[in-house]
Amino acid sequence: MNEPMLALASAIPSDMSSKLTLIAPEILLFAGAVAVALLGISRRASLRHAVPLVTALFLAASMVVTAWVYRSDATASSGLMLPMLGGYAKLMIAGIGILLVMVAGSSIDRRLEEAFESGRAEFDPIRVMRGEFFAFFLLSLAGTMLVSNASDLIWLFLALELSSLPTYVMVAVSRGKRKAQEASMKYFFLGALSAATFLYGFALLYGATGTLVFSEMRDVLAMQAATGGVSTLAIVGGVMAILGICFKLAAVPMHFYAPDVYEGAGVATTAFLGFIPKIAGVLALILLLSIFGWSGHSIQVDGQLVSSAGLPAPITAVLWMVAVLTMTLGNVGAILQRNVKRMLAYSSIAQSGYLLIGIIAGPPAGFESLLFYLLGYGLMNTGLLAVLASLERHGEEVETLEDLAGLRVRHPWLAWSMAICAISLIGIPPLVGFFGKLALFGAAIENSQMALVVIAAVNTAISAYYYLQLVGVPMLGQPNARTQAVQLVPDPWPRRAALFCAASILILPFVAERIYSAAAASGKAPTSAKGEASASVEAAARASAQ
Amino acid sequence: MILSIASAAITSAVLSSSSADPIAVATLIKPAIASPELAWAGLILCFPALAAVLCAVCGAMRVKSKLPGMITAIALIAAFVTTLSLYLTCHDGATTTARTIHLFDWITFAWRGESGDWTNFLAPFTLYVDSLTLLWMLFVTGLGSLITIYATEYMEEDQGKGYVRFFGGISVFLFAMGTLVLGGNLLLLYLGWEGVGLASYLLVGYNYDRPSAVAAAKKAFIVNRVGDLGLAFGIFLIWLNYGTIEYDALFQALADTTSSAGTTAANASEWSKAAIPYLLMLGAFGKSAQFPLHVWLPDAMEGPTPVSALIHAATMVTAGVYLIARTYPLFELQPLALPVVACIGCFSALLAASIGMAQYDIKRVMAYSTISQLGYMFLGLGVGSTFGASYHVFTHAFFKALLFLCCGAIMHGMGGQLDLRKLSGLRHVKGFRVTSWTLLIGCICLSGFPFSSGFYSKDTIIGAAFASDDPLFIFLGWVAIVTAGMTAYYAFRVWFRVCCGEVLYEPDLAAHAAPTANDAHGHVAPHDSANSQGGHAAHDFHPHGPRFAINGVLLVIAVGAILAALPSYLAEFAHQQNWIQSMVTDSSAVAGAGSSAHDAHAEHANHALSFTGISDIHTATSVVASAVGILGICIAAFFHLTNRKAADRLRHALLSNALTRWLPLAMENKWYVDEIYHVVLRLPAWAIGHVLHFSDAHVIDGFLVNGTARIPLHVARVFQPLYNGALQGYASTMAGGVALISAWVFWIWLQAG
Repeated sequence: MNEPMLALASAIPSDMSSKLTLIAPEILLFAGAVAVALLGISRRASLRHAVPLVTALFLAASMVVTAWVYRSDATASSGLMLPMLGGYAKLMIAGIGILLVMVAGSSIDRRLEEAFESGRAEFDPIRVMRGEFFAFFLLSLAGTMLVSNASDLIWLFLALELSSLPTYVMVAVSRGKRKAQEASMKYFFLGALSAATFLYGFALLYGATGTLVFSEMRDVLAMQAATGGVSTLAIVGGVMAILGICFKLAAVPMHFYAPDVYEGAGVATTAFLGFIPKIAGVLALILLLSIFGWSGHSIQVDGQLVSSAGLPAPITAVLWMVAVLTMTLGNVGAILQRNVKRMLAYSSIAQSGYLLIGIIAGPPAGFESLLFYLLGYGLMNTGLLAVLASLERHGEEVETLEDLAGLRVRHPWLAWSMAICAISLIGIPPLVGFFGKLALFGAAIENSQMALVVIAAVNTAISAYYYLQLVGVPMLGQPNARTQAVQLVPDPWPRRAALFCAASILILPFVAERIYSAAAASGKAPTSAKGEASASVEAAARASAQ
Repeated sequence: MILSIASAAITSAVLSSSSADPIAVATLIKPAIASPELAWAGLILCFPALAAVLCAVCGAMRVKSKLPGMITAIALIAAFVTTLSLYLTCHDGATTTARTIHLFDWITFAWRGESGDWTNFLAPFTLYVDSLTLLWMLFVTGLGSLITIYATEYMEEDQGKGYVRFFGGISVFLFAMGTLVLGGNLLLLYLGWEGVGLASYLLVGYNYDRPSAVAAAKKAFIVNRVGDLGLAFGIFLIWLNYGTIEYDALFQALADTTSSAGTTAANASEWSKAAIPYLLMLGAFGKSAQFPLHVWLPDAMEGPTPVSALIHAATMVTAGVYLIARTYPLFELQPLALPVVACIGCFSALLAASIGMAQYDIKRVMAYSTISQLGYMFLGLGVGSTFGASYHVFTHAFFKALLFLCCGAIMHGMGGQLDLRKLSGLRHVKGFRVTSWTLLIGCICLSGFPFSSGFYSKDTIIGAAFASDDPLFIFLGWVAIVTAGMTAYYAFRVWFRVCCGEVLYEPDLAAHAAPTANDAHGHVAPHDSANSQGGHAAHDFHPHGPRFAINGVLLVIAVGAILAALPSYLAEFAHQQNWIQSMVTDSSAVAGAGSSAHDAHAEHANHALSFTGISDIHTATSVVASAVGILGICIAAFFHLTNRKAADRLRHALLSNALTRWLPLAMENKWYVDEIYHVVLRLPAWAIGHVLHFSDAHVIDGFLVNGTARIPLHVARVFQPLYNGALQGYASTMAGGVALISAWVFWIWLQAG
């Protein structure tokens, strides 16, 4: 973009053009999805092979565009409730997205492409799925990004659906196995169930407030709270919406699908499912809770400024309950697993419980630490699964702990990467997971949630049991006849992604402060202009600090 | 007997000090100036850290050259130069103002208590630079560079993996020591404290294939743990009582409490405030190897000699002295704290000197001498002469490093031989001249021979003890003078035995019997391949003298040991202010009550040493202490130079007499402290350990853990039908969950009304 276009954008101060400017990264990803889908069915193998690269390039471009548009005035005039939210979230989504592309790399259609190359099979555009996979990949990322820009319930619903619908297909095509198709069907039906749940919640919220626009809903609910209490309809609607979104987080009671789906999907898709839907869920929760006054808000009642009292008690109670059950069930479930992917599915359930701590703690500290932890979690989870993706045994994915025994002897870098990721997931200093957990727990303590922190700490101790197996078995175990067959996949990118994740986990603590302040800035009003939105988080932060 | 006198003296000290007016922090420590422009001082820590990383890279690349040693040496020299320029920047004229240099926020934590007010815990990565810091950093980085250069030659047989490990460890050590000394709060000090402990553990256990080295490393680590626990608790209590662990804020808080009768920051009870100095003391005694935690230091000599010289003689062991000097205002608040420090220090000095007199391994003699000299430093701190203590730290760092490096040079060339009965006349052996003469310089300084550096620093401490009116301190002063005589004896016993007399040497047969084994002190003997014919290797053993790097470093440090007396020469003959004194006076280590009292009593007409006829107490102390020291040297000359048989005869005479036979045995067996610990601490711990292991295996693991572990299993079984993989099952469970939670919310809603 050049100067005249910028002038055009700022010359028309309407909502719509600012919104369009803000979703420029998503528009770019849509274009990318089309391009990748077309490239994927090309007859020329070199073009088909370029699909992951093109995907990554579009993601990188969308990062650049994100950085650019969130510095412009569009944020101020967009009329969003949390206009800067996307600035951090989209960078994180696209950044981790690039790593996920590296992990997925050439794993999709690998056998088919080999067959084409050796001449065993004729090229058939119906059978190739790589382009399709990455097109859906980009669409899902675009949907996740769009969640952060939602200004009303319809947008939020559509964005959430856009982020989840492609994933059902991705699970199905991620590997040519019946298991994957079974997982895809389960995921689809249960996803539909959850969508129905939160849509029902949205409908109730609309009924309770008479509007679909977030900023108006927030005013209505604040007015209700100031004059006799939030209506039951809104509370039930809010709870239903939260419980429906729990599916995205893989949180209780919507967590049942996770072990089966994570196990059934190809490892690259497992890495995707462990992270991207979680961001969508967290962003949606932030927006939904913000209309209940979570991020602080003040309204005029009879000429007096009344600031919001925070979340209604039942909603806090539900979140508390969900957080405790989620981390406990996740960790207890993971203990029993020998299949690493299944173990990581339970681990991702447990990690959602930790994320909910940040939600309960509330802004500003809980908000910032939540976004910080998400980034760290994305790196750790992707790193672990990237290690699995770089290994194969007789052409099959490596899934069980036994296959990893003595990995250090043959592939020291991979074993170290795995160990670093797992240790960071436990939360041992000086890795990024420790600082993330410290910030989350600290935020909860600041908000007098001592009991929650104690439960989370006990859970962390339990989680050490199975995470340390991911350290101990590869590092200290002895290679045996079974592990002799385990070897590297020909594609070097998954192991590069694993190394990159491990290195970032080591390096991030040194720049933690900057990331943390970036996360904090995404909850604040835009710095360039003081719009209507400036009354949001910053004021609340000041109010709570005093 | 000594103990009973000491306890009587303590009682009298308690009585006298409690009757006197309460000790107050007389001098307020000025608030530090925030100096962000000095952020480059962080490089002092960056260089060793970088060197450690590069060593690790060398290890990964399997570098087989001297590169890791060179990298470390260059990094440490760079750190030294940076320290020097920091000193030149901060030291304007006569005084140094304390400065804080904020590098980055490290730990910031704030939470809201029940009452709604905010409490915070701040530990930013800030450097606190005052003269005390600079004094310490100058000799730490300076000696660190020199000893690293020495080690590049000393460790040359181990090039490859061992070389990388060694220099990596040294870099980690220097980084940690820098953090300990430069850190602006107690948490950073603790970080460095644990870091040097780790480096010490790694380097003592350098020869991890030798059980004695592993045992020594473990012993050093575990004994230090006891002290570290004290330090940790001390830091907790400081935070609880004063609400901060940053030096600058802490000193100001102390000034507030003393000026306004101590009510402002009183969050905790009085006893917890009173316990602080004793807990810090425990930490200091652990790290600085004072009785009763001294047992690890002699065993730590299992590490390579440069490690002994750098870590276990010159730098790390003085961390305890630094800790007390840094937190001196806290010690002054408790009337009993400093006398306890003085007593423990003095007792350790005497005990270690008596053991040192009876050891045959010259490195062990030096180890006990280190404990003894550290005891002097604590005596100095205890009697209020932080100047004396810091000066002794400074001079001791030079001459003890020198002594150890000489031992290392002898061992390097003599095939690992360290037994002073099997070495003689090295002065006349080709290649060992430099070693012999530098060893002599070290011994002269150690024994406090008149006008040597050790003489000035030691006599400052003893003089300060005599200058007080307190009978306890005067008693300790006498003990220190006796100890000075013993010090002179064992120092010259080593020199006369090893360097004088007829030429005699044999290699350490134990080390040479096994051709591939490392010798007893972590150095692969260079002659193994030539002399591997079993036990009779002694006949064709040719010692090889040290080369340029070792000799050069020995000479430089010897000059340093001599020049360490320079501040005193200048003070005495040119009437300048003693440099070390100026370095101490404007730091937090300034002894408020102590130093002023000390000046007032300097011209006391009727002091404890008035029988010498000298009115100035310091001169009198010097005369008496040097006389005792020279007496010690003469005795050493009689027994070990002119009449070597007499020493054995004396030992036999003592052993044959039933009344006196305990004395040599006790001294040779280190007063059985290890054995006492074995019976009193280790055996019960062993027994408890077995009981616990039994209960762990059968009760905790067998019943509780496995029983508890079965709970999730049973729970899982109960829920198993839910995870049956059937879609409709999942769907109905999810819907049921939503329904349950919604119902629950309704219930809450109804309850709330």
